[in-house]
Amino acid sequence: MTDLPPPPQATGRLLDAQLHLLDRSVVDRNDVPVTTVDALEITDIELDAPIPRGAPAPVITALLSGPVLATRIFGGRPPRSRLERIRWSDVTDIGIVLKLSVDGDSLAVTWVERWMRDKIIARIPGGHHDPE
Amino acid sequence: MILNDLLGLDVFDDRGERLGKVLDARFVLGGPGRAAPAGAAAGAGAGAGAGEARLEGLIISPHSRHSYLGYERLDMNSPAIINAILGWLHRGTFYVQWDMVERVTAHELHLRTGYRRFDPRLPPTPEGEGRP
Repeated sequence: MTDLPPPPQATGRLLDAQLHLLDRSVVDRNDVPVTTVDALEITDIELDAPIPRGAPAPVITALLSGPVLATRIFGGRPPRSRLERIRWSDVTDIGIVLKLSVDGDSLAVTWVERWMRDKIIARIPGGHHDPE
Repeated sequence: MILNDLLGLDVFDDRGERLGKVLDARFVLGGPGRAAPAGAAAGAGAGAGAGEARLEGLIISPHSRHSYLGYERLDMNSPAIINAILGWLHRGTFYVQWDMVERVTAHELHLRTGYRRFDPRLPPTPEGEGRP
């Protein structure tokens, strides 16, 4: 397929962002689906400035999720302010899904769902309890 | 910074020759001194936390800015017709280490003098960790 040499062996598990992280489902510590990974936040790279040799490489600081349907169809991406963060330090497992160590209800990314539950669903008769 | 801003950038070498676009970003989980357990396969858990994910390098494609199933990074070769099409689309794809990136601008990424091209494929693991 290719005659190129393999890269020097890394000291940990390798993850390709598009292949292993982006678009993956995220579940909370109770395996309840929370969201999907729409983008990744990494430590800043100074634009238009030379990167010194040996400078620390960027690291992932957060998973980002938000309203990306329109931008995927028409291009671009939502403003940074519309993307909700899930701290990378809350990620405990990376596999078919990304698993978190926290409850989904504690995350800003689920605020629409919580608002719908508390303000609308709860006011419907029978909306306070599980279906029977 | 949002990682998605790096993906799709035009890549140039030190002489200003265009090499392609950033197809993906490869991270190493654990990082130096915090190597992931040897048997940490996808879905098997990565310990109490996933650990630091450090940018290890970039996958650059001269002909495409989209990955399509990761055929160029995994030892998948069937169905043959799909493999042939994607192999052709991703011909010339290579991997460069992040240390070899000299400068990033809003639209371009420049590599250092003497950068080396490596095989973009993920190293095989007995557990099939690299599978998407």
